[in-house]
Amino acid sequence: MVRIVVASPIAAATRGEREFEVDFHGTLRGLFDLVTTKYGRQFQHRILEADGALRRFVNVYVNGEDARFLAGLDTPIARDATVDLLPAISGG
Amino acid sequence: MQCRECRTEYPPVQLAVCESCFGPLEVRYEIDAVRAAFQSSFLADRPHTLWRYREFLPVFDDRAIVDLAPGYTPLRRAKNLESAIGTGEIWIKDDTVNPTYSFKDRPVAVAIAKAREWSLPAVGCASTGNLAAATAAAAAKARIPCYVFAPASLEPAKLLLPQLYGGIVVPIDGTYDDANRVALQVADRRGWGFVNLNLRPYYAEGSKTLLFETWEQLGFDLPDVIVAPLGSGLLLTSLEKGYRELSELGEARERPPRLVGTQPAGCAPIVRGFESADGRPKPVRKPDTIVESLAIGDPGSGFEAIRSMRATQGFADAPTDAEILEGVKLLARTEGVFSEPAGGTVVSTLKRAREDGRIDRDERVVLLITGNGLKTPAVWQDAAPPLAPIPPTLAAVDAYLGGRAHG
Repeated sequence: MVRIVVASPIAAATRGEREFEVDFHGTLRGLFDLVTTKYGRQFQHRILEADGALRRFVNVYVNGEDARFLAGLDTPIARDATVDLLPAISGG
Repeated sequence: MQCRECRTEYPPVQLAVCESCFGPLEVRYEIDAVRAAFQSSFLADRPHTLWRYREFLPVFDDRAIVDLAPGYTPLRRAKNLESAIGTGEIWIKDDTVNPTYSFKDRPVAVAIAKAREWSLPAVGCASTGNLAAATAAAAAKARIPCYVFAPASLEPAKLLLPQLYGGIVVPIDGTYDDANRVALQVADRRGWGFVNLNLRPYYAEGSKTLLFETWEQLGFDLPDVIVAPLGSGLLLTSLEKGYRELSELGEARERPPRLVGTQPAGCAPIVRGFESADGRPKPVRKPDTIVESLAIGDPGSGFEAIRSMRATQGFADAPTDAEILEGVKLLARTEGVFSEPAGGTVVSTLKRAREDGRIDRDERVVLLITGNGLKTPAVWQDAAPPLAPIPPTLAAVDAYLGGRAHG
């Protein structure tokens, strides 16, 4: 199962759910499509830009690696992956 | 509070990002109320700390303030540096003399006060070093436990200082951005107040006092150019916010200072974003620079900093490490101010920009020197050969000086 962990500031997009699992393998884009079916289009609108790119206010980590340094939305997601969604807050 | 992106408003609660669009929040003030309580003529009787700008700082309860007396640092004319660089008026805002020797004491003062107002059980930060000491020192005075998340590879002095103040250092095997990520997760799980993460909108307010003080110390006037180091970009956006607030009060001139941001070439995600068409920071996975305090590969306020630099007709620059070290030495040898490498970054950007005309000779420039050089001794360990002792005799001294004229 893919484990999705959502930081509390982002959890408005998942109706307050901060950790859940889905049976999935494929790409990050496909995973977000699946999660959108669970939480509605508002999830997609909050996580992705209108052109489908990742929004700059949300950082996505696949097994601890920033998805922007992997293959972005084409990053492969294995069945046992952990995907973290965190607000893009960093640095002093 | 208000979202910088979608303008949604919120009450002044513990909230770090907009619940609607996840954009950054900023504190807003009832400007008429501020105008009624604050006049520049009042400043003469106020404390020589950043709290002299009390009406612009979002702390409700004075008893929550832990006052280590940060801020109100010297602003000095730098005539020797002007001669060396061949430029007009340069001023140095010397934040190396804050309580823990960097400008981070400013934002931390506000964030710790908020943590006390909200009775948070512990505070912390993700740090490249300076913030660690500032947070740990203020937490010690406030008697709140403090947890510092930092790359284990930081130079020893920066890992030692927060421990001496009683903080617990959590050494992360990774970059600053790795430390930042795990700190965010810990903040979420444990309910601690991380000054630069979940207390960030309030924390940012402390930094803008650099702009207010500069205005005051220049005789209630602003310079043409301010050169600031860029880590996350939050310092620069705070300067822009400070200008906006002075303008709303009717205290600032119409044209804002040109905001110039600088990062080392080995970690320049904001500079590369400034140079790009889309104006978005270009994250750096593995920073490669001696300027540890600016080695933030994924700067949280980078986009807003780029917007601020563009809006003020400023620019972004990225000198090399070699230029930066020369900048540190130039500042020390001309003005007697020993800064950490971030200060050398600022000085070398001024030098480069004078040479290629990005800063005009007739512009009045303020350099923000934000951290003390004594915190980064390791940078200099190879700079001078070991000194071989000589006998304590006049003859030996004459021989040692080799007949050179020494003043």
